[in-house]
Amino acid sequence: MKQPDSIPSDKQHLSMTVQRYRPEQDDAPVWQSYQVPYDDSTSVLDALHWIKEQQDSSLAYRWSCRMAICGSCGVMVDGTPKLGCKTFLRDYPKGLKVAALANFPIEKDLIVDMNQFLHHLTALKPYLIGQPSSASEPNRQSPEQVKRYQQFANCINCGLCYSACPQFGLNPEFLGPAAIALAHRYNLDSRDQGKAERQPALNSKNGVWSCTFVGFCSTVCPKGVDPAAAINQGKIVSTMDGVIQWFSPKQLDTTPQEPTS
Amino acid sequence: MSRKPYQPSMPANWWLKHPAYRFYMLREATVLPLLFFIGSLLYGLYCLSQGEASWLGWLNWMQQPWVMALNALALLASLFHAFTFFRLFPQVMPLRLGGRTLPASWMVAGQWLGVLLVFLALWWLLGGYHGSN
Repeated sequence: MKQPDSIPSDKQHLSMTVQRYRPEQDDAPVWQSYQVPYDDSTSVLDALHWIKEQQDSSLAYRWSCRMAICGSCGVMVDGTPKLGCKTFLRDYPKGLKVAALANFPIEKDLIVDMNQFLHHLTALKPYLIGQPSSASEPNRQSPEQVKRYQQFANCINCGLCYSACPQFGLNPEFLGPAAIALAHRYNLDSRDQGKAERQPALNSKNGVWSCTFVGFCSTVCPKGVDPAAAINQGKIVSTMDGVIQWFSPKQLDTTPQEPTS
Repeated sequence: MSRKPYQPSMPANWWLKHPAYRFYMLREATVLPLLFFIGSLLYGLYCLSQGEASWLGWLNWMQQPWVMALNALALLASLFHAFTFFRLFPQVMPLRLGGRTLPASWMVAGQWLGVLLVFLALWWLLGGYHGSN
């Protein structure tokens, strides 16, 4: 298997401009260019490794699996959110600019603070609720029932959709694409009974109604989750939920009761 | 060690920064020529209520080149908006038949078929009007 530091330097080169932010010395991010050797198999992540090992050990970035499943290496490549491991230098023969994921506070260089997203994710309870735990009985689900939510279950929490979303950029309180897609995923799961717990947040000002269907979140998603579809299907669910609430017994209880005696 | 995170801000012209955002804003901007078209129609209704001279005045007003150009732009804008809307529709309301989701391309084609049918119905109606004269 080829290791990043084995890229021979006699290969063709291109200019990779990387956003740097060193909190101990910079007040704002600055750009720094590197000449990077590449071939058809060199990913942006490989190139970052090469820079760190050969040119500048102070460069900071996140990565783990190198195969688009951990969701750690999200960066902006020429202004578009991408996974570093799934983006190849061969597609940018004139050079490329790599920056930290947009819409998140930058900790250092290409490392962002994703707490806002994780906070939203937690608020929407992305796990099975109301499931009786029984070791003896398997929880049966038909292939058709799995199909209903499977697409939305492919999310790897990489945060690219949050960087693509101008509504999240303008209002960080917006629950955002991935969190709402995962809430929708569990609402669609036949084993789950937690919809009533998730719906108040989804119905709120910062829930599904903050989305204006820019749709860029679905374009950049590296796993084909289509969060824009989840959010806008969520608007229908939210509308139905509102209609049901008008006629709910809780509302009727507030009307004066006839004396029974 | 203390942290000093850099908080990025969205510039007012954020929507010019990426082709995807420009496409989105173009889609939203289709409302502007359509506003003019609706205004023209309402003005026409008002003129109709004011008598024949007023109505003929409106017809003349509508035939001015700049009014026709703006209304032609409104037609193009509404067709472009329909194009984007029809493409998004299968994402929002996937139709399921017999446990299978209908292919998005079928739904898009079905919507354009609907447009064609409405267009043909209008063509027939207006053609019938002219034919009787």
